[in-house]
Amino acid sequence: MALGRFLLKRVLQGILVVWGVITVVFALRFVTPGSPINAIAPLDASQETRQAIAEELGLDQPLYVQYANYLFDLLRGDMGFSYIKGQEAAGLVFQKLPATLELAVAATVVAIVLSIPLGVLSATRRNEPVDYGATLFSLGGISTPNFWLGIMLVLVFSVQLNVFKTSGRGVGFEDVVASVFTGDPFLDTLITWLSFITLPAITLGTYFTALITRLTRSGMLDQLGQSYVRAARAKGLPETLVRYKHALRNTLIPVITVLGLQMGTLIGGAVITEAVFAWPGLGTLVIQSINLRDWPTLQGSLIVIGAGFVVVNILVDALYAYVNPQVVYD
Amino acid sequence: MSREDFDRRSFLKLSGGAAAAVTLAGCTGGDGTPTPTESGGDGGDATATPTETATPTETEEGGDGGSMETFDMTVTQAQMDSGLDPQDHAETPTDNIVTQAYEGLLDRDKQGGIIEGLSNEWERVEPGTVRFALREGVTFHNGDPLTPEDVAFSIRRIVFDDVGIPSPQSTDLGAVSEVVPGDGEVTVNFEGLNPIVFQLFATNGEIMQQSWVEENDTDYINRNTNGTGPFTATSYDSGNEVVFERFEDFWEGPAAVGQLTFNSASESSTRVNRLLQGETDITVNVPPQEISRVQNSDVASINPVPSTRVIFCQMRYDVEPFTSQEFRQAMNYAVDLDSIIENVLDGFGAPTGQPTLEPFVGHNPDVEPYPYDPEQAEQLVEESGFAGAEITLQTPIGRYLKDVEIAQAVASQINSLSNVTCEVQQREFSSLVQDLTTGNIEDKPAFNLLGWGNGEFDAAQTIIPLLTTGATLTVLENDRVDQFMADAQSEADPEAREEILREANAFLHDLAPWVFLHRQFSVYGVSNRIEWQPRTDEAIDPYTASLR
Repeated sequence: MALGRFLLKRVLQGILVVWGVITVVFALRFVTPGSPINAIAPLDASQETRQAIAEELGLDQPLYVQYANYLFDLLRGDMGFSYIKGQEAAGLVFQKLPATLELAVAATVVAIVLSIPLGVLSATRRNEPVDYGATLFSLGGISTPNFWLGIMLVLVFSVQLNVFKTSGRGVGFEDVVASVFTGDPFLDTLITWLSFITLPAITLGTYFTALITRLTRSGMLDQLGQSYVRAARAKGLPETLVRYKHALRNTLIPVITVLGLQMGTLIGGAVITEAVFAWPGLGTLVIQSINLRDWPTLQGSLIVIGAGFVVVNILVDALYAYVNPQVVYD
Repeated sequence: MSREDFDRRSFLKLSGGAAAAVTLAGCTGGDGTPTPTESGGDGGDATATPTETATPTETEEGGDGGSMETFDMTVTQAQMDSGLDPQDHAETPTDNIVTQAYEGLLDRDKQGGIIEGLSNEWERVEPGTVRFALREGVTFHNGDPLTPEDVAFSIRRIVFDDVGIPSPQSTDLGAVSEVVPGDGEVTVNFEGLNPIVFQLFATNGEIMQQSWVEENDTDYINRNTNGTGPFTATSYDSGNEVVFERFEDFWEGPAAVGQLTFNSASESSTRVNRLLQGETDITVNVPPQEISRVQNSDVASINPVPSTRVIFCQMRYDVEPFTSQEFRQAMNYAVDLDSIIENVLDGFGAPTGQPTLEPFVGHNPDVEPYPYDPEQAEQLVEESGFAGAEITLQTPIGRYLKDVEIAQAVASQINSLSNVTCEVQQREFSSLVQDLTTGNIEDKPAFNLLGWGNGEFDAAQTIIPLLTTGATLTVLENDRVDQFMADAQSEADPEAREEILREANAFLHDLAPWVFLHRQFSVYGVSNRIEWQPRTDEAIDPYTASLR
């Protein structure tokens, strides 16, 4: 019951945050240079043509009217019409969302699969070569810029070794799942999917992997020095049980916090990785929309990214209960 | 000799060849210009051949029973389309995509000469009236025949705000007053002579089916195609990929390309990687630093072509020190154009000395670019009375190839004069455009770098919008220039008109309202598995590609 009340409170707070995001995103249009009219009209268009376009876009309305209309439309699920692309902004945004989520989840999976075992190994074999290696990897991973890593991975594994595709999405994960039911060759589809997503997922997940590795290592070292671990060992529990059931579980609490924050960041922060790999996700859409001054699509993308961040954080809060039942919600 | 040296020289050879080809082609009309004529169809230069393409020689259902060898092809641009409505955009990447499915009444060959499109005969019947005879047997992708009503509707939809959409192409066909469909033909009336009407129709005015447009909403029209062109869209992923299949009933015969994919990568290194890995066949805008990677590979090569875009620095005639013609000329003498092209652009440019590019209508072959002469520049500055002037050159960031680096080189060379100080101010392009397009000359920067593409291959299409009184982008108010243009636009004789335009270009060279910089090159990376030559007007025509 306490958890229910807590989550309800967080959801209400989340709605406020999303409203704030909407307001800031709406205001951005008026404080950034350049008008959407310039993106639509040719360079030598007359003032009459520009005025006609302004009226068509509703830019001649008072600010509060534009804001009220925008909020009302959003409540109906209408993000506006992209006059640049001649399409509904919501359609454009939600069409790109699966690609971004897929990449974010893949990067997170890469990070979790690599970082937690590496962190644990590093902590349990402190000051041994494996610990030094893990520390070096963490330092390198945190220090390496995404755009450089991505380009290097492509040059080595795509251009030189011809193992992975250089860029693009090819097939989506939904195609892999669908191949199970449609009779398409599952293995071929899976391999094709992996050939496209592996490098961007590693690129996006490397920083994340390094961060979690360091966090896991320090958390494990901290937990392994606690008195309950000594007690468990004194009781004669197997070392594996002590490490992975007791110490690791407590270590995961701060890891999950960071995981949630990073997952939210990955949804909106994959812009550089998406650009390097021409990944057709929200990051690419944001860049295109900025360049084209496609405000409805840009606003819609930013709102979805902001809302995604909020949702992920609420889910992380809920996950605490599973990982640590002692957490008290108030 | 370094590898880079070798590559650059190889490139210069290639580009020199391309430039020569363009120049030669421009001379085919006998007057140093492309081949626009005042009448076409029956023996005119403009209609000599449908295309000079490598179209397939065997057809799938050919008379000899042979089968066509088709192949799939991918084109990677830096940017995708802004929707598939051919009449609702104003930028090249979209044009490149939609023109696979849609055609105009007239078309251009690779050098910019006018050729047949959906019209195979055209003429000026009166000073302000032209007639287009429609090709017979043309069908839309949905199987319906092309009608004069479709053509009339399409032209109206472009030029009249109350028909369908307020098209950003509304001025691209001239001041159309009326469009009258007839029996197998369409007559277009203009407010005035419109001396370059066929140039305009060769570049603009894609034709759509009236009933299809009226039956579908904007969203649908921007995600699907129904034209008469060689390809029809089968899959559309906005901002990511458009897949076409060849249109079997295309009036000129089905393309050799069976499936055509357009995709994009904003990062130039990504585009080049795709090319080198065989994931694409044509990639646009290969920057100088990536040239050697492509040239050194055995899977692709560089294919450059002079584009229709001229790069220059505007100087506002009403702001000191640019009020002085001597000062403006001095700025031209101060800039070492050859050095900028060689060192900043790695040879990807050709120097200019007038607003009109070679071999456009009106280009004056007697006008040479200003030579680099800093001493002459300093002397002219002294004569202008503005010695010690401090000026700022505003430049867009990333809008044109190496724009910031070019602006920095120009400013540095001007700054090296003993009596002028010059610095660079970088501006986000949209913000700069905001100042340039207010309609008031007072709002414009005093000194800024800009580029201008002229797809119509006619001097007036550069001089009128950029250098005549009251034009949106003008930095000049000069009675003589205005008179030149008024005369040119009311002159029905093409040769007399061209002479006026040549005079105007010579006059503008001396008047120096710009620091004349260079003609930008389009540099394509092309897979060695295909044979394809780029076009001067930046359009991409996979229909002309063939397998090696």
